[in-house]
Amino acid sequence: MDLSLSTRTVGDRTVVEVGGEIDVYTAPKLREQLVELVNEGHYHLIVDMEGVDFLDSTGLGVLVGGLKRVRAHEGSLRLVCNQERILKIFRITGLTKVFPIHSSVDEAVAATD
Amino acid sequence: MSQIDGEPDAKDFVEVRLPAAGAYLSVLRTATAGLAARLDFTLDEIEDLRIAVDEACAILLQQAVPGSVLRCVFRLVGDSLRVTVSAPTTDGRAPERDTFAWTVLSALAGEVESTVEEDRTVTISLHKKRGAGPGQP
Repeated sequence: MDLSLSTRTVGDRTVVEVGGEIDVYTAPKLREQLVELVNEGHYHLIVDMEGVDFLDSTGLGVLVGGLKRVRAHEGSLRLVCNQERILKIFRITGLTKVFPIHSSVDEAVAATD
Repeated sequence: MSQIDGEPDAKDFVEVRLPAAGAYLSVLRTATAGLAARLDFTLDEIEDLRIAVDEACAILLQQAVPGSVLRCVFRLVGDSLRVTVSAPTTDGRAPERDTFAWTVLSALAGEVESTVEEDRTVTISLHKKRGAGPGQP
């Protein structure tokens, strides 16, 4: 299975809906999408991972890279994920403390901090 | 694997060879999950193995010789599955351990070792116990 990406705007946030498998083969596609959004001036991103079937450390690296990019513009990168098997990877690597992880896009949009 | 039918055997292993390229990792993940399911690993253990094998291969692919073959051998030893992945590399570097990939691999697989041969073939072995409970944390 490949990776699917779609973006939409909700208020001042840009939601990136990701589907499929994020691995060493597909992660560059996600990286390009995040880089492109930041280059276009979208600094408040929400990555919706509800449709993700697989995530490995390559995907984590891309998300961390995205976070660094938006932070350079005082932006934010929030994740939406409820899947235990995906959350486990974030916990193992300590990234639950780095990314705000929300249970729905609505919750992520409403978040301010 | 003959443990499924009864008697262990010296030839009792499954070997998967694929091009050392990222595009093929999804195939190996599927094979890993299928094999682990056949060996009665729990759903959580199957998922752990699927990710662990993927991470081990992703680590090797960083320095694999372009156009070479990635070799993955599965062997049931007692109550654990030993998976050995190896590939010829350009650098012959031992995998770095302070990476996300190694952190995920070692957390999900339990025991992990790596070796570098004189011909720069790098091997990562992981040992996943069956019924050891869910991978941490």
